[in-house]
Amino acid sequence: MSAGKRIGAVVCLGCGCTCDDIMVEITGDRIGDAERACALGRRWFGDGRLPARILVRGADATLEVATARIAALLEAGPALVYLAPGLSTEAQRAVIGLADGLGARLDSATADGPAPSILAAQRRGRATATLAELRRRADLVVFWGVDPAERYPRYRERYIRPDATIIAVDIGSMLGPADAGERISVPPGSEAAALGVMRAAVLGRTIPDLDAGLARAAELAGRMAHAHYVAIVHDAEPQAVADPQRAEGLIGLAQALNIPTRCALSSLRGGGNRSGADAAMTWQTGFPFAVDFGLGVPRYRPEESLSEVCSAASVVLVAGELAGVSAALSAAFSGRAVSVIGPRASDAGPRVEVAIDTGMPGINEGGTAYRLDDVPLPLTPILAHPRAVAAVIDAVAARLAARTVAR
Amino acid sequence: MTDRLRITGGQVHDPANGIDGEVRDICVENGRVVARLPAGAPTLDARGMVVMPGGVDIHSHFASSSCNHARRLIPEEHAADPAARPALLDGEGVPRSGSGGTVPSTFTTGYRYAGLGYTTVFDAAVAPVMARHSHAEMDDTPCVDAGFFALLGNDEYLLRQIDAGERDRARDYVAWLIGATGAYAVKIVNPGGVEAWKAGQRNLNDIDQPLQGRRATARAVLETLADAVNGLALPHATHIHCNNLGQPGNSTTTLATMQALAGRRAHFTHLQFHCYGGSDGTGWGSAATRVMEYVNAHAETSTDVGQVMFGPAATITADGPVEFLLWQSSGRKWVNIDIELETGCGIVPYSYKEKAAVSALQWGVGLELFLLSNDPWRVVLSTDHPNGGSFLSYPRLIQLLMDRSARDDALKRVNQRLLAGSALLDGLAREYTLNEIAIVTRAGPARLLGLPHKGHLGPGADADVTIYARNSDLAQMFASPHYVLKAGCVVVDDGHLRRAPKGRRLHVRPGYDDAVIADIRRYFAECSTIQFENYPVRDIPGDPR
Repeated sequence: MSAGKRIGAVVCLGCGCTCDDIMVEITGDRIGDAERACALGRRWFGDGRLPARILVRGADATLEVATARIAALLEAGPALVYLAPGLSTEAQRAVIGLADGLGARLDSATADGPAPSILAAQRRGRATATLAELRRRADLVVFWGVDPAERYPRYRERYIRPDATIIAVDIGSMLGPADAGERISVPPGSEAAALGVMRAAVLGRTIPDLDAGLARAAELAGRMAHAHYVAIVHDAEPQAVADPQRAEGLIGLAQALNIPTRCALSSLRGGGNRSGADAAMTWQTGFPFAVDFGLGVPRYRPEESLSEVCSAASVVLVAGELAGVSAALSAAFSGRAVSVIGPRASDAGPRVEVAIDTGMPGINEGGTAYRLDDVPLPLTPILAHPRAVAAVIDAVAARLAARTVAR
Repeated sequence: MTDRLRITGGQVHDPANGIDGEVRDICVENGRVVARLPAGAPTLDARGMVVMPGGVDIHSHFASSSCNHARRLIPEEHAADPAARPALLDGEGVPRSGSGGTVPSTFTTGYRYAGLGYTTVFDAAVAPVMARHSHAEMDDTPCVDAGFFALLGNDEYLLRQIDAGERDRARDYVAWLIGATGAYAVKIVNPGGVEAWKAGQRNLNDIDQPLQGRRATARAVLETLADAVNGLALPHATHIHCNNLGQPGNSTTTLATMQALAGRRAHFTHLQFHCYGGSDGTGWGSAATRVMEYVNAHAETSTDVGQVMFGPAATITADGPVEFLLWQSSGRKWVNIDIELETGCGIVPYSYKEKAAVSALQWGVGLELFLLSNDPWRVVLSTDHPNGGSFLSYPRLIQLLMDRSARDDALKRVNQRLLAGSALLDGLAREYTLNEIAIVTRAGPARLLGLPHKGHLGPGADADVTIYARNSDLAQMFASPHYVLKAGCVVVDDGHLRRAPKGRRLHVRPGYDDAVIADIRRYFAECSTIQFENYPVRDIPGDPR
């Protein structure tokens, strides 16, 4: 790339906001600046330079040797194929196809975070909206146990009306925005009860003898019912342990508010195209995560924890950024033959059997990424990298097919 | 890929070319039908079989973000209908597993459409901002040529042009949007009503009720878009889902909509859901006769029926307010998504039951429309998959149309409470012929869609061919064709899926006055959360028509 080149409308995958208004300045072979990006986005872009190594047990290897080794490991199985963040949806589709062909267990970062929200939505449905709708219509915005400033820094700037009334609902240490016009506090042990009381209030049911906290929650619900359009914002990937009934309670409240007025529940998601993994798995298999191809058909196994899944696998293929894998899951990989195909895979060094560095979607690879509201956006490669994830996955699949024919 | 193939000895039903059951050969070369082949060309023995063009589904919901939200909502259906990888021949595509139910996974959708003899399918409702998603799903839906209709009847930019009386700019916007998204046609769903739902007005109840604070009415939306589509000479007419879907007495709205567009080419979709008499206070009834009288008398009008079939369904529509009502009345799961100042999405899983009065009325109204139609070229088959039932129920519907005794037997089983006044009770004796079935399932939809290479078997046609072994059980016959050719490739052989080629994308790119772009850019800067540069879909496969 030529020095000083500026590229506009670049999509940032630093968090699920997926801001697409970034102006990137390329200086030499690196990113010099990412205008309009938040601190999180700037970290995500970095200087754009990524390693391009291929390692087998920590030693440099050719792509042919590395993909042959991965194929041999996967064939021996049983395998867990894991979609980490940091993949375009095109790459995710290729990885799902590989898992299907292998009869592997397939999962994604969704199992580690927003699974309760997805399972609750599968029981009840949900009422939601894409972000332009929120920005235009929501006059009352309730942040439920989340301040987007830290992990979703531009969410309010880009997607919330400046004149909207902001209400914070603090759940223990999970606080809403500090600058909220008003706030209520709900003890963590009372969250499900508060949501139940609020839903009842919206539906016009009177519950006698509420304590002061729950009465405050009921009062808030009454205000919400009289707003023009309510947005309830929560973090689908909370940092602290959330009440397992939160997701269902929020869904029920948001749905009920559509009887007297309009309401949308906005679920915040982390970066790296996590929503894209849910979408692609759903359209290819019928299930958004936790898919077992072991019997030759996709079976839904959301009740299994990832550590249980790992214990049943002897081989793990991580596609995407290893850094996006939770510490608990990384620990569960211990004792398994792990291969990694993705950006900065070689950072794992000799801890893994095979590591193949690829480009980063949105920096080195084109394709598609999904915003937290499931709106797909195009990715523009702005710096070169010798390898793309989907091409490496295809090479592994070709190796597997060749081994099958050879037998 | 078979380059040349002579399909010999079959009884050919090719109504577009005036062929009604004549025994003749069909010659295929390089994916197209040709007049003749050299002696010695490979043959496919179709003696004793029925040969038709590949099926063309004019209105389905199979590849959209809304479908995917529906898939996500019904894991229990997928768990109950696992779909194993098909036994494809070596080198004929990588077979994929999947899951079925009312909204199957993508690969399974392609395999099942092909297994039914359908080779061209249109998704009837795609939010323009989600077009990129639909293209990706279609990439993963093998065996069928596919396209989609872009939802425009509640689009904020369009409504602003209507408010301002800017009809020419509205037309240019339509042209830009269709090209930018890779769509094939324009779809209107509940014109103005979805915006009313999102804005707190809840719905529009008649076509002259204005949106609050605006000049735009449903009538203005209908006229503006129909004129734009016809002015741009798009191959398919404006595809219209009228206001008040599913409501008692809605035939009044339906007829008012048709009359508003009298003299203009227009397609009224899933008409069954819009043909009810009665009112909230007086109960439901059939108004199929009255509506079909209008359709029969107006050659510029076309429709697909949207037949309800008993069994499970998934209601998926951009008509958010109607799904809210269905949620309220059914108590089932409910998804609502307000989409990016363009449209909406509502989803409620559903089931039509013989013994439920409203289900029986809907089933009866659909059959009335089919049986009262004077022109099968303009009244074609759909179940609004999966809203009225899965596309897999088409064979049972064909049996109801072709076999009066099967129909009468079914009629005896259903709840009769709301059927008073139904022409079905007058003993409609009509039985569709094979040629009429060929019209309503392939030749008619292809003609209505403006697809000159589809729906027929004349020289130059795409070699999409379905060959059925005769069977006295008509539902069985149409459920499992013996051979299916897609662009000359034998995908179904001896009743089994053996090849799964990628289909082609069907899309258009009409011209427009570039002056509109500056205005659209201003609108994006003000209202969109997406940069203008990132909106158009890049790398759409295939050339636009």
